[in-house]
Amino acid sequence: MQHAKADVQPMTQGADAPAPGSRTAVLVAEGLQKSYGPRQALRGLSFTLGAGRLLGFLGPNGAGKTTSIRILTTIMEPDAGQFTVDGISHKYPEEIRRRIGVLPETFGLPKQMTGIEYLTYFGQLYGRSARQAKQLGLELLDEVGLKQRGRSLVSTYSHGMRQRVGIARALINDPMVVFLDEPTLGLDPRGQQELLGLVKQIAQERSAGVILCSHLLTEVESVCDDVVILNSGEIVATGSVRDVIGRTERNVIRIRVPVPSLAESQRALGTIPAVRKVAAANGSTGWLRVELSEVLSDDHQISNAILETLIRARIPILSFEPEGGRLQDVFLNLTAQAIK
Amino acid sequence: MSERHPANDRRLEPTGAASPTWWIVFSRELHDLWIGGKALYLILIYAVLLGIYSYLFASNSELNLLPLKQMVLEIVKAAIAVGLFICLIIGADSFSGERERATLEGLLLTPTSRRQIALGKFLAAVSPWPVAVAIAVPYWIVLSKGDAALVPALLWGPVLGSLLAPAFAGVGMLVSVWCNSNKTSMLVSLVVYLLLIFPAEFSGLATVPLGSQMAARSDVLQWVNPIAASGRFLHDTLMGNSTLHQLWLWVTTPVLFPVVVLGVLFAFAGPKLRLEAGTGRLGRTAT
Repeated sequence: MQHAKADVQPMTQGADAPAPGSRTAVLVAEGLQKSYGPRQALRGLSFTLGAGRLLGFLGPNGAGKTTSIRILTTIMEPDAGQFTVDGISHKYPEEIRRRIGVLPETFGLPKQMTGIEYLTYFGQLYGRSARQAKQLGLELLDEVGLKQRGRSLVSTYSHGMRQRVGIARALINDPMVVFLDEPTLGLDPRGQQELLGLVKQIAQERSAGVILCSHLLTEVESVCDDVVILNSGEIVATGSVRDVIGRTERNVIRIRVPVPSLAESQRALGTIPAVRKVAAANGSTGWLRVELSEVLSDDHQISNAILETLIRARIPILSFEPEGGRLQDVFLNLTAQAIK
Repeated sequence: MSERHPANDRRLEPTGAASPTWWIVFSRELHDLWIGGKALYLILIYAVLLGIYSYLFASNSELNLLPLKQMVLEIVKAAIAVGLFICLIIGADSFSGERERATLEGLLLTPTSRRQIALGKFLAAVSPWPVAVAIAVPYWIVLSKGDAALVPALLWGPVLGSLLAPAFAGVGMLVSVWCNSNKTSMLVSLVVYLLLIFPAEFSGLATVPLGSQMAARSDVLQWVNPIAASGRFLHDTLMGNSTLHQLWLWVTTPVLFPVVVLGVLFAFAGPKLRLEAGTGRLGRTAT
């Protein structure tokens, strides 16, 4: 173990340094590259994950997310670059695997096993005695809300329950870094909410760094502290969710008013000096797209002026949101830019 | 960054009297094979086939169409051939089956070494062989009717089978390491099996005396094929009462074959086991 530690070289700190609030970096990746023949799947992935932080790992299909996860979980070797988990170099994959927990996007469960048997088996593979592994398995089943179904065959579990038992397996070694690849895929809205709550709990109560791969940007925005957006094997944005969202220039506001008030709203808004253009939003009945002559600032002066104007004109405001003010807008904007 | 986190040390230490990981994998596989039913079904089929075979041989023997010694030889060879097939099929399912069921990734993500995973699975794949022998021995005893061929049959049948069963399980596992699809793994293993078993069976049909050059070529082909070499050894021991000293050459292939197969499996293929088939960088894709 000491030998493995000694091999680790300190990596550059800076933009990818541990995010504020985190005690320490549990995962540091630097310049990871991977090619499949002539196609470069990963072109220098670098980021840092702090303990207790939840990092959203985003990207369109083919962006390199699965390759990144497989490299970071030691399933695959990088062509170039390095990464460390708890200071252990990727050259020691077995040591890395002791410190990580993974819920792959697709994972199978043996049909003949019960939930507790499954967790006991994996607990033993991590070096626990059968008794201790079983005890730990029971605790984890309780933690993920499956205590009552621990003795049922996993083949009888619903999709949500399978995801939960998969998360329990990922936690069996009390990992420092947890990788969750599309954990809410195929779950109903309530199941999604409950699972995201569980994910947040893992980061907070276990002080583990969590990497959450997802296509559902609203869920990433709601639970993650940090975000990495990948496109074509490159990072196009990284930082805290708030910073990444704040980095985009926002000069459009979308407002929803009752349809009979659309024309009146357009007239009223057109009188505001900061408003460049007001038009009905394409394809959305009752929505107005208000283009501003300047970027929205944090003091909300323009937003307030718009709201005030509409209220004075006694126009009911059904919805009001700056375009680009959500992670989804940032994601679409960044990935579209990169494609261009 | 390279400092240890003392608070987290508890996560890393194996606790209690942990079993070796190959044993844990072996126990699990054994449970899946025998409680899950796959090995049980195969052994059931084996028992039925052996029963049919024995009935047919016994009928022929009653009609004096087949000498007693020949009948014992054939039933011993049949028991070995089917037993090897079972080990091969279970070996062929070991990795490609897990890949298809998406259970391999979880196993590879544990700190268990690939070699230990391979060892646990290998031992489980060989587990039907002792059961197959236990089922076959009563048939041999009853059919031999106390003939002198019984003793060498009871000795050399299990010995040769015990040499070849691990080798065939190993061949199945090697194929499985390189196949993403379970169907492909099974088919390739079946082809390998047929390539070995057919020449071995046909060599026994050469009743016409061959010229010395042809006989030498035939001998070389039999020697190269582990099943044919075992068959020849059993034939000469049971039918000709030859001794091991006279026939040692025919045992070399059944001994060398498992050594080579298991050497490749545990020294090369097993440690390089990957989530996606193959041992090198080629053919691995992910996005």
